Amino acid sequence: MRLTDVMGAAGLSGWAEAALLLFVAVFVTIAIHTFSRRRSAQYERARHLPLDDDLPAVAPAGPGRGDDR
Amino acid sequence: MNVQVERFSYDDRIVRWFLGATMLWGLVGMLVGVFVALQLVLPELNLGIEYFSFGRLRPLHTNAVIFAFTANGIFAGVYYSSQRLLKTRTFSDALSWLHFWGWQAIIVAAAISLPLGLNQSKEYAELEWPIDIAIALVWVVFAVNFFGMVLKRRERHIYVAIWFYIATIITIAMLHIFNNLSVPAGWFKSYSIYAGVQDAFMQWWYGHNAVGFLLTTPILGLMYYYLPKAAQRPVYSYRLSILHFWSLIFIYIWAGPHHLHYTSLPEWASTLGMVFSVMLWMPSWGGMINGLLTLRGAWGKVVEEPILRFFVVAVTFYGLSTFEGPLLSVKSVNALSHYTDWTIAHVHGGALGWVGFMIFGMIYWLAPRLYQTKEIWSRKLVETHFWIASIGIVLYVAPIWAAGITQGLMWRAFDEGGRLMYPDFVETVMRLMPMYWARVVGGSLYLAGAVLCAVNVLATRAQRPARYEEPVYEAPALTPAYQDAPAVSYLRESGAHVARVAYLLERVTSLQFHRRWERLPVVFSAWVGIAVVSASLFEIVPTFLIRSNVPTIATVTPYTPLEVLGRDIYIAEGCNNCHSQQVRPMRHETERYGEYSKAGESVYDHPFLWGSRRIGPDLHRVGGKYSHLWHLRHLDDPRSTTPQSIMPSYAHLIDQRLELDELPRRLRALASLGVPYDRELTEGVEMARAQAQRIADEIVEQGGPEGLENRRVTALIAYLQRLGTDLFREPEHPAPAELPRQARRTDDATD
Repeated sequence: MRLTDVMGAAGLSGWAEAALLLFVAVFVTIAIHTFSRRRSAQYERARHLPLDDDLPAVAPAGPGRGDDR
Repeated sequence: MNVQVERFSYDDRIVRWFLGATMLWGLVGMLVGVFVALQLVLPELNLGIEYFSFGRLRPLHTNAVIFAFTANGIFAGVYYSSQRLLKTRTFSDALSWLHFWGWQAIIVAAAISLPLGLNQSKEYAELEWPIDIAIALVWVVFAVNFFGMVLKRRERHIYVAIWFYIATIITIAMLHIFNNLSVPAGWFKSYSIYAGVQDAFMQWWYGHNAVGFLLTTPILGLMYYYLPKAAQRPVYSYRLSILHFWSLIFIYIWAGPHHLHYTSLPEWASTLGMVFSVMLWMPSWGGMINGLLTLRGAWGKVVEEPILRFFVVAVTFYGLSTFEGPLLSVKSVNALSHYTDWTIAHVHGGALGWVGFMIFGMIYWLAPRLYQTKEIWSRKLVETHFWIASIGIVLYVAPIWAAGITQGLMWRAFDEGGRLMYPDFVETVMRLMPMYWARVVGGSLYLAGAVLCAVNVLATRAQRPARYEEPVYEAPALTPAYQDAPAVSYLRESGAHVARVAYLLERVTSLQFHRRWERLPVVFSAWVGIAVVSASLFEIVPTFLIRSNVPTIATVTPYTPLEVLGRDIYIAEGCNNCHSQQVRPMRHETERYGEYSKAGESVYDHPFLWGSRRIGPDLHRVGGKYSHLWHLRHLDDPRSTTPQSIMPSYAHLIDQRLELDELPRRLRALASLGVPYDRELTEGVEMARAQAQRIADEIVEQGGPEGLENRRVTALIAYLQRLGTDLFREPEHPAPAELPRQARRTDDATD
């Protein structure tokens, strides 16, 4: 008996639909929780990360290692 | 608390090099694109050189713009933004350079091997197995370098752009490895371990997700970093970006089968692909809206700042493409659009508009920062680039949309007598010529824009300081033990008496776990991996394991040794770039080509050759339709048999000797994949010689030239004459029950 016979007899064809529902459920859960109000402060900080990433240089900005010339 | 402050600097040199590679390969890839577009209107432009024919150069174009231009652009963008978002230098300079030179070597290998005809035929995965292994290794180098950065970061929260990068790295690795699994037959030849339907399924699972995870998620990551940077305001909604991320991870991975509607793929799979594709529309638009609303209150800047304009057009095209994609995935629309230029227009809207404009915008933003000049060399030139590229996109996409719909409608048109209105395929091609010319103009404008960009970047670079500065920054190291802020419990605060389970429920629903994941990259990555792997397994495994999905047909037997060689020539020449081998079960298709294709007919097709575009007619039922001599003349000079044909000449196949040395190794490779060869393994060469002699004799009988028994063209003719004929053979042991129902009935092929 081959693996394909076993799988064929197992009646798994409905699993794809089951997985579809499962994935939708997980996704909806994430969606609901992402929009729950209590995370606002954290998100407010997170969304500014790209704008806050220009750190002031501390050491004298001397010639660097990465020199293309 | 004792916080250790650390000093570090960023590696911008690697970003500069990746940026240069992006420009260089962008020009090459787009130039090849214009060249192949010209060949479709002037087929003589291959100059009679086999290395320049459309079938060989089209994969070079797609690979160059995807894996050379886009990927290098992504690497540049990822290294620049990740170092800053994570407040750390790249993990290892050595790995960065290994990544850079490894990737460029792969591109050069592709640029050499594809024109030579060394390819696996699978779209966007054409490169042969040694290059595939190199890609996997370099990708691992990139992954180690990237995750090393994430692990030694000095910023606790991982910004959403980084999530998109993580998803890209994990998913592309998985897609690349599983779609390219093959058995080598020599250094330059391999056979996919999957056959027929399964191979098609794997390929489009890969093909669609390569679009998803190389042309969408990483570019979105770039959008979530560079758009706020250029606009100098934060992304509109961080929540929407999270939702956008998870929806792509959970939904995109399922959508691949919409590339195979009405083929012999099991219907449940193609319906599943359609449903998920339609679901993708809303979250994609959520992302688009998020990008556009980031500019709220800053639209004045868009007028002044050409970089922002590049981004705005890019995000708009993201919206257009992610609306058009779900539309095309609906079966009834796909019935019209499939195999036509509509798909090509859709892809180029996304590629030129979304990917191209994001990368060009990013290049303009990065160039003055990387070359440490105050500004880009010429803002005026950026303006010019923006306008000619925008016009170029419109001139490309709109006519090709029209071309696709025109040809699709012509294929399916019946006259009052119930006969095909345009039975001559070439008639439907000739109608497209004005649109094809417009595409050449549009594509050339877009290329001209890229040239301006290169000039501008080079001129900016010329103004760089004598020595680049490498500022040193400092930031506190992350403490190994991190305490979450105590979770707020509304239940506890309210003082209400509730069951213990309610507290538990509150803990779960507060999504504390998600907040933790966002800081725990390993766990986070694992979840991304689980999501994409499990989705793939749920969808793909049944096709492989459930036998009823691919009914076997008793009369379908393996290709003869000579036909195997002919098939290899078909693959090497890239015939599948213009010819499908899959007749859909619709009346206009069965009228035109013959009986529709069955899953059981391609069980020995390693790899499958169903194709995705009919620039020429479908070939699945071409076997026996014409004489050998017709094929010979047609391959020698297509315009001798079809005066208006735009097919290139394959005269070199008539001149080149048929080498049989490789044959035993190839047959052994196929046998190892389960193709039931027996006598072929020992007497393959003799069998091939005998069949070639038979065909050569028949060509002479039909009034053709002598001496073709040892020419490559004979093998190709043998293969073409075999195509699609097995279904109609009498079984050796006539047992009607063994024949599938459809095989016996040839007249029920209606839509």
